[in-house]
Amino acid sequence: MTTKHFSEAELLETYYTQPGESMPVMMHLAACADCAARYDRLEQKLRGLAACDAREIDDKPQTFWTRQRMLIMRGIDARKQHGEHVSRAWRVAAAALLWFVLGGTIVYRTVDVPKPQPAAAAVQQKVQAEDPVAHDAWQSDELHDFHGMVQWETWSDGKSNPKTENSL
Amino acid sequence: MPIRVSQFNEAPADQELIARTLGGDGAAYGLLVDRFQRKIFRVAYAIVRDESEADTITQDTFIQAYTHLARFEGRSEFETWLTRIAINRSRDSLRRRKFISLFTGGDDDDERTMLFEPVDERPDPEREIMARQLRVAIERAEDKLSAQQKVIFRLRHYEERPLEEIAELLGLAAGTVRAHLFRAVHKIRKELAEWRVQHQGISDDDETLQ
Repeated sequence: MTTKHFSEAELLETYYTQPGESMPVMMHLAACADCAARYDRLEQKLRGLAACDAREIDDKPQTFWTRQRMLIMRGIDARKQHGEHVSRAWRVAAAALLWFVLGGTIVYRTVDVPKPQPAAAAVQQKVQAEDPVAHDAWQSDELHDFHGMVQWETWSDGKSNPKTENSL
Repeated sequence: MPIRVSQFNEAPADQELIARTLGGDGAAYGLLVDRFQRKIFRVAYAIVRDESEADTITQDTFIQAYTHLARFEGRSEFETWLTRIAINRSRDSLRRRKFISLFTGGDDDDERTMLFEPVDERPDPEREIMARQLRVAIERAEDKLSAQQKVIFRLRHYEERPLEEIAELLGLAAGTVRAHLFRAVHKIRKELAEWRVQHQGISDDDETLQ
């Protein structure tokens, strides 16, 4: 048996932390009647203090609980209504946005807007203009007045079409 | 048609009431409120030590539980789930109170001094006074604790819940709860020792204050 008696502070700690778990204290209490009696008194007092609360709550009139329940149910109704209001507002906002997008698309497709020339087509045209094979220089506006001479040169080179040669 | 077990009993099971509530039966939730409101109020009151605040916390707890009822998976008891919500709300309330007191410098010592008033009708008025003073001393000592320590100590002291249960309710390891409780009890011991020195003259025969 442990001869050292435990102080109130140590007994208090034993009570709050885990009664029965502190082996040295519990062993001492089992053997020492004095300490065991002090521990019992301490336990009784602390339990008594806690019980005061429980009694106060148990003694509350039924009207207190009825009022509380009513307030809870009212709070739930208010929350539900608020939730419905918020979800309705969201639905209206979503519908308005959808109509705006759809309306915009329809208007965009209906109205005939002159389309700017696509950049790719412009580039292709430029390439064609610079390509000597693809473009006949004699057909240009600058050489239009010399068209007769062009025809004559073709004839003198003997590269005229077979129809002309046959006629000669 | 299969007969449900609850048809034989007067009180339907929590799960059944939850299912009915989710199905749109508001009265079913009223039954759940009626079943647990006292326990939830008691837990909230144990932590915040203020009746009006505990009332508000109880109401908020049930409203929040209703809002998130679909998320309740039934892994724990409905009561445990409600208690957790109530504890979280109570802890928030304690923190808010502490934050406000930083600016207002508020202290409700005056209110507590009232508790020293003796009640002579009791069979042993002196003991009754000692008990009241002890209560006040504990409440004063509690003021020195952090919000978390307060919650743990109060659940242990007023609700007499075992450490394992407190750990489960707070979502903490049992060792963490034990450490918090140790620190809390040490602070309380210190405060009570001071109180004993101050009030030793009142009752010399009462050795076990405590």
